Amino acid sequence: MLLDLSEEHKEHLAFLPQVDSAVVAEFGRIAVEFLRRGSNPKIYESAARKLNVSSDTVQHGVEGLIYLLTESSKLMISELDFQDSVFVLGFSEELNKLLLQLYLDNRKEIRTILSELAPDLPSYHSLEWRLDVQLASRSLRQQIKPSVTMKLHLNHSGDHTTKILQTDPATLLHLVQQLEQVLEEMKTNHCRRVVRNIK
Amino acid sequence: MSRGARVEGHGALTMELSESVQKGFQMLADPGSFDSNAFTLVLRAAFQSLLDAQADEAVLDHPDLKHIDPVVLKHCHAAAATYILEAGKHRADKSTLSTYLEDCKFDRERIELFWTEYQSNKHSLEILLGSIGRSLPHITDVSWRLEYQIKTNQLHKLYRPAYLVTLNVEDLVGKLKDASKSLERATQL
Repeated sequence: MLLDLSEEHKEHLAFLPQVDSAVVAEFGRIAVEFLRRGSNPKIYESAARKLNVSSDTVQHGVEGLIYLLTESSKLMISELDFQDSVFVLGFSEELNKLLLQLYLDNRKEIRTILSELAPDLPSYHSLEWRLDVQLASRSLRQQIKPSVTMKLHLNHSGDHTTKILQTDPATLLHLVQQLEQVLEEMKTNHCRRVVRNIK
Repeated sequence: MSRGARVEGHGALTMELSESVQKGFQMLADPGSFDSNAFTLVLRAAFQSLLDAQADEAVLDHPDLKHIDPVVLKHCHAAAATYILEAGKHRADKSTLSTYLEDCKFDRERIELFWTEYQSNKHSLEILLGSIGRSLPHITDVSWRLEYQIKTNQLHKLYRPAYLVTLNVEDLVGKLKDASKSLERATQL
């Protein structure tokens, strides 16, 4: 699958062959850093001064690079497809190689960052538990009532939350049995077939 | 209502019972006010009010109780219900029960009747009392969904399984409200 680059995008990227590869590599580093932490306009200005061009030009160049990397990572295009997509830009072989390496080196991390943008449900992080036995309460003396108290640690869009829950031993065994069944599901023929055929 | 008898018995902790309860029981003990049949009916009504969530004032609507002064009827019913709760709470044994009922002038037959009714309802009573109280959200069941993620608008070719788990939780404060409503009804009859 080839990337479809718009005219505007191609124009922005056209700045890259005008500087030497060390600068392009630096732009690549800035691009990934901006994906991690957000953009910082001051960087554009200082780079523009050093290169003696407008800061808009620098910004477009970096943003073009960012878009190239994110689209390629999102679609998980193959090396070959990436090379063919970039080929239309008419860059030097050295520059093409640099861009490919930039893509391959950062693809995994970029996909992780992109996955944080998806609708997210709280996900399991860890679990602490405690076994208690209730011996008496205000309304009933002489009890032997075991219970399991759990602190569920969850991650949700970067936030860490906890939930404190309780259950009785019988329900706990039922929970464990049900969840073991869920794990077994992925091993069934039906699920295996689906996984095999959707690629 | 002033503090009345402190009842002590083997193996049971002291129960605090008011004068009103004692008076109610003394009336219940009197065959002139309550014949055997009426006694049993009031006793059963007390258990029903406590243990049956649907029970209401109608629990004392019985032709064999019509001849009794409604004020007296309510008093004795409430006294019985109060005592049953206290006995259940402290897990009173037969000797503790017998001692108190004797003090209230119950005859042997009525003590036996009371004990029999108490025995057959004891388990439900303890479940009711045991369920009263604040507690953490209590997990009652789990629902799950297994999905295979293919793509999102931000990320194509995901190809990974995801497990969605819902822990069904019963908030026991809800149960507390039910239990207290049931007791409220019992004392207002």
